[in-house]
Amino acid sequence: MNFTETEEQQALRKAVADLGSRYGFEYTRSKVKSGEHTDELWHEAGKLGFLGVNLPEEHGGGGGGMYELALVLEELSAAGCSQLMMVVSPAICGTVIGRYGTDEQKQRWLPGIADGSIVMAFGITEPDAGSNSHNITTTARRDGTDWLLTGRKIYVSGVDRADAVLIVGRAADEHSRQGRLKPVLFAMPTDSPGFEFRPIEMDIATTDKQFLLFLDDVRLPADALIGQEDAAIAQLFAGLNPERIMAAALSIGIGRYALDKAVAYAKERVVWGAPIGSHQGLAHPLAQVKIELEQAKLMMQKAATLYDLGDDMRAGEAANMAKYAAAETAVRSVDQAVQTLGGTGFASEYGLGALLAVARVGRVAPVSREMILNFVAQFSLGLPKSY
Amino acid sequence: MNIVVLVKQVPDTEAQRQLNPDDNTVDRAAVDPVINYIDEFAIEEGLLLKEAHGGEVTILTVGPERATESIRKALSMGADKAIHVTDEALHGSDAIQTAKVIAKALGTIEWDVAVAGSEATDSRSAILPALLAEALGVAQLTQARKVTVDGSTVTIERVTDTGYESVQGSTPAVISVVEKINDPRYPSFKGIMAAKSKPVTTLALSDLGIDAGEAGLANAWTQVVSFENAPPRAAGQTVKDEGNGGGQIADYLASKKLI
Repeated sequence: MNFTETEEQQALRKAVADLGSRYGFEYTRSKVKSGEHTDELWHEAGKLGFLGVNLPEEHGGGGGGMYELALVLEELSAAGCSQLMMVVSPAICGTVIGRYGTDEQKQRWLPGIADGSIVMAFGITEPDAGSNSHNITTTARRDGTDWLLTGRKIYVSGVDRADAVLIVGRAADEHSRQGRLKPVLFAMPTDSPGFEFRPIEMDIATTDKQFLLFLDDVRLPADALIGQEDAAIAQLFAGLNPERIMAAALSIGIGRYALDKAVAYAKERVVWGAPIGSHQGLAHPLAQVKIELEQAKLMMQKAATLYDLGDDMRAGEAANMAKYAAAETAVRSVDQAVQTLGGTGFASEYGLGALLAVARVGRVAPVSREMILNFVAQFSLGLPKSY
Repeated sequence: MNIVVLVKQVPDTEAQRQLNPDDNTVDRAAVDPVINYIDEFAIEEGLLLKEAHGGEVTILTVGPERATESIRKALSMGADKAIHVTDEALHGSDAIQTAKVIAKALGTIEWDVAVAGSEATDSRSAILPALLAEALGVAQLTQARKVTVDGSTVTIERVTDTGYESVQGSTPAVISVVEKINDPRYPSFKGIMAAKSKPVTTLALSDLGIDAGEAGLANAWTQVVSFENAPPRAAGQTVKDEGNGGGQIADYLASKKLI
């Protein structure tokens, strides 16, 4: 076991941090205000190969692993410009296509996902199928060699900037609408006839919005099917471990951003002749946040390392634990940062008020805290199932 | 075209830098080392020249063993190879001695232009490019905000207090660049991964035919005799505006000969 990152990982961390600091939180804030996407940062990071570090070199990626991709997102997020679509496009979609796609599919999608010129969203959640993804009803029917997709999806991120959505559905001719899911995955271009999407108004200040999707007999060619038609659920789960690792990276970055702001303020702000950081009432909670952030980060790095070694089962357990720890810590970090800054904690220039809600999202998405606790109770502790 | 970029490793400009009280040299252990900020513009200019005219970019660094970190970064930005002159006897060398070492090191390769940052953030003497050109007996094109190469003719826009001068010289030439000249690129992931396998030639003084008696603090032409830390900032003067605030500020500025 080695706790020192390689020279290359350290150099990548530094290069991404430098890029992130040039954009910074002010950039994110102005984009949220104007309702735009962070295209400049996205494309610059893509051109530098940062968005596709985990994807295979022969398909335009960097040939690194989830460790490196998580590191990129953590640093951008710590600089105040987290990129939610990194969780989705290169981590979930890039991984699934990279592991289960045909050579043609890899060639079509991966180089663009790697350099950021293609953004792929991920549509799994439905109005009646959230954590219970076995209830997915979006159905794919065969029509000759084509497929016809019909269904509804909800809370899908970034569809307005996406070129395609990786849709999780079920095949009509082999499975009923209920029962255990044998998912079928389709790369569906967003300009497909029969496909519509509508933004969901949210009280979260982010540049990537949430959408409702409507699929009404969306016709897709045979080669839109990613992987096997009757593949095991492992194919879907291949994308979900990276999702959790990346969600942890995003939360840890947010936690670091808030802690940095709080520490800088606590050193500078002087009341009655002493910097407020000298008072243990403020110093100890910040020290606690620091410890918890380091713990969450270690767990995330363990999950990423196991994933990169190909140990999906143990990576799954660690990824869930990392995501849990990172989200909880990010919430505490932002909360404590606001407390440290007092009224100033809500001033727009620090970005902490807006982060209260953003950090809080990590407790419910992409998988809720309670579902992780269920998983750990059953899988890690062997306790009986509650549902 | 063969391009050499001179890269110096310096203590991080954003940290509290200090001199070592034992011999009044820069305390390199106290602060994390970084690439001299302005040298990043020189690296970028070297890479742009290569993109426009072909050839290779060689990084040349004189400095302690740890300077390899800066060399790796320069290589990860896209340079092709590097020469690292390192020798314990170099400790405490001044700009004149360093220029002579660089001149000898340049003698080991074929080169057309040597590009440097206009100054280093530690010593800030801004004299090395001129000394180097003098030592080599080649054209000296310093403080460039723009560089154009046409065959063996190099033309620069040299920044002055009031504008710029157009200065021309023939290769081989030493060029120094200012921050206005370009936007240094970030190392790409591919660049970072490739940097480790790029060749770095390490040379000691003996490899360059330089006697240890010519190098180092004991033989330097210039030395820091003494130093003291900058005094803490004194309390400011408060001007109360009782209708004459503007006049008081003007008087203060005039007393400091600022207006």
